[in-house]
Amino acid sequence: MNVKRKIFAISSPGGHWIQLTRLCAGLEAEHEIVYALPDKLFKPKRDQKIYSVIDVSADDKWKLLPCALQVGYILLKERPQVILSTGAAPGVVAILLGKLLRIRTIWVDSIANVQKISRSGELVKKRADVFLTQWEHLSDAQQILFKGSVL
Amino acid sequence: MIFVAVGTQFPFDRLIRCVDEWAQAHGVEVVAQIATGTYLPVYARYERFMTTEVFNQTLQKASLIISHAGMGNIITAIESSKPIIVMNRQFELGEHRNNHQADGLEWMSKLPGVYTATSCAALTALLDQHENLQAGGQVGVERRQNLINFIDQAIRA
Repeated sequence: MNVKRKIFAISSPGGHWIQLTRLCAGLEAEHEIVYALPDKLFKPKRDQKIYSVIDVSADDKWKLLPCALQVGYILLKERPQVILSTGAAPGVVAILLGKLLRIRTIWVDSIANVQKISRSGELVKKRADVFLTQWEHLSDAQQILFKGSVL
Repeated sequence: MIFVAVGTQFPFDRLIRCVDEWAQAHGVEVVAQIATGTYLPVYARYERFMTTEVFNQTLQKASLIISHAGMGNIITAIESSKPIIVMNRQFELGEHRNNHQADGLEWMSKLPGVYTATSCAALTALLDQHENLQAGGQVGVERRQNLINFIDQAIRA
């Protein structure tokens, strides 16, 4: 069953991005990955395709709209089959747009959220096709799955 | 050289001041990444932000990493086989938008090569014996592969 898919991978900068890239490192050989990152400090490796998008967080919700326009444009242009995000707000934007465009969506909640699912995760818990936590004790084995962690 | 980094989202003056004052008292070379902090180190060399490239170069040159309790720096330190001390941001002090860094400190302390401090006093105690702090080995290689394998299946589904 060797099917190559096009994946759109998006997250906030910092820890979310480090986790996302570590997961994608294990997927790059099998699939085509297009990235989006709200961070000008990151320099892509030679063969990585990375779109820069506006950063948005819980502190500046007004940026949700321009961020959504950018992400929507990329989704329409790239037509990925799958969206993968580790959070936070930019991932929520992408998952919600992905639902609208009937793209398969996968959320991996950040390993930093040990005691409860992240605030951004809560927003997409019922929307994402696959919702993963990195903590076994946060899994309900139905909607919230635990299948491993980056550490 | 010791590298202290607070991430890019918020300042963390309490951490930078603590390390700067300890470094001055002990004459230890420190490079600091301070984001939008208002406390400017008097002893340590500092930059507000670094490109990923400069950040990684600085990290490779360091013998010890000190950081806010953020996953990015913890993962990078472990992968680079550097010991790391993390101090959590406190929501009550306006240092983050919630207290998840405090929640995470207990499991972080169980990671090999990761040392945790909840205050400047605890951090200073660790710094006083910094030459004894050892990097741990790679951790969770199998857990990571399991997660990647599952995502790969979910992608193909």
